[in-house]
Amino acid sequence: MRRTYFGISFFLLVIVQMILCNYFQFTPLLTLSILPAMILCVPLSIGTPICMIIAFATGLSVDLFAEGIIGLNTAAILPVAFGRRTLMSIFLGEDLVARGDRFSFRKNGIEKISAALAISYAVFFIFYIALDGAGIRPFWFNVIRFLFSMLLSMILGMITVSSLTHEERK
Amino acid sequence: MRKFNFIPYILSAAIFIGLEIAALSMLRNSGELQKIWIARVAHGAMKGVWGSGQKISDYFSLAESNSALAEENHELLLRIQHLEEILREHGNLSEPTPRNTKRFRFTNASIVKISTNLQHNYFIIDKGKNDGIVNGSGVITPNGAIGIVDAVSDNYSYVISFQNHNMNITARIGKDGRHGPMSWDGMRSNGAILKEIPHHLEIVPGDTIYTSGFSSIFPADIPLGTIRKASIVNGATYDINVTLFEDFGAIRYVTVVENIGDKEIRQLEDR
Repeated sequence: MRRTYFGISFFLLVIVQMILCNYFQFTPLLTLSILPAMILCVPLSIGTPICMIIAFATGLSVDLFAEGIIGLNTAAILPVAFGRRTLMSIFLGEDLVARGDRFSFRKNGIEKISAALAISYAVFFIFYIALDGAGIRPFWFNVIRFLFSMLLSMILGMITVSSLTHEERK
Repeated sequence: MRKFNFIPYILSAAIFIGLEIAALSMLRNSGELQKIWIARVAHGAMKGVWGSGQKISDYFSLAESNSALAEENHELLLRIQHLEEILREHGNLSEPTPRNTKRFRFTNASIVKISTNLQHNYFIIDKGKNDGIVNGSGVITPNGAIGIVDAVSDNYSYVISFQNHNMNITARIGKDGRHGPMSWDGMRSNGAILKEIPHHLEIVPGDTIYTSGFSSIFPADIPLGTIRKASIVNGATYDINVTLFEDFGAIRYVTVVENIGDKEIRQLEDR
């Protein structure tokens, strides 16, 4: 039941991400994404290789149906999936990761999950902005884009994490 | 203690690399800018990897190359000496050469041990009696006079370094200026003091200091260093601070100079 709920929520969030990419492009300095939050919320019982395949498929779907540059989201989200378990071990503890427990803001605290989320977003946007800019945009532009995107996407990411870890709120 | 299993990590890393390459390949085919940029980054990485490999390989073959160069240098020096003698015999060499090779015999050598952080530094070279090295010979490099042979065994020689308070070299300002004794300043690895220069002379920082050629140890006109600053001592003479050309920390190959006419000069002095 849990997994079915997660699967449906995840699928719907992929569609939300596509909508964000298609209709919420206000300025080149801002990229809105919930992909890192989604990948971070993949149950910890799922191993890194499967998580990376999920990330690859998700990123590719978004690229195919939204972005226009195929491979951009895919390449940027893979490092997040690769480092997810390590990141969760650092912030939420090794035991939780080893047991494959679920996590939530209520159970583990908003600070720890936010910190893990922030690092995930930072990794994602470093890759995303570097690959999107392809070395032609000035450094200051990339820095401002990174900061803007991080700030607004973090808010969306918190909502995403909250919705994907809903069971703990019962 | 929990046993650490590497295999899942290696497997994850391999899958990550594979998927990332697939994603970057798609990206490369999708945008022209990305295609150029990824190609540039890939070429840069390849250049770095292959360049580093080549540098490591070059580094390990440096000793061999240096030995070959030192040998070649020595051979060339001998050939110059020979040619100069022929020219002098035929009267075609009007001016004296910077190094009066008729007076000196040159032998190349490698340093096998060196001290640089003492007040009385020394070094040991890999040539000794068997190679014709004699006590009192000078030791030079293209960047200066660096020591005097103090003791000789069959295969090695002990050399008092210029970085030693017991050692003086007679040096002069420019090729025809005033001369005086020059010794290590004891503080900086490339610092020396040239003393007893009359204070009425104009001292220009940056001027080159050469060996005078008046000692029986070193040939004339070997560049030693440049003037850094000068200060008058006791109102009578200048003490000139010199920045040496030679980096004592990096010396590997040297040339031993033996004054062939030294014995004859001494006999003449003794009369």
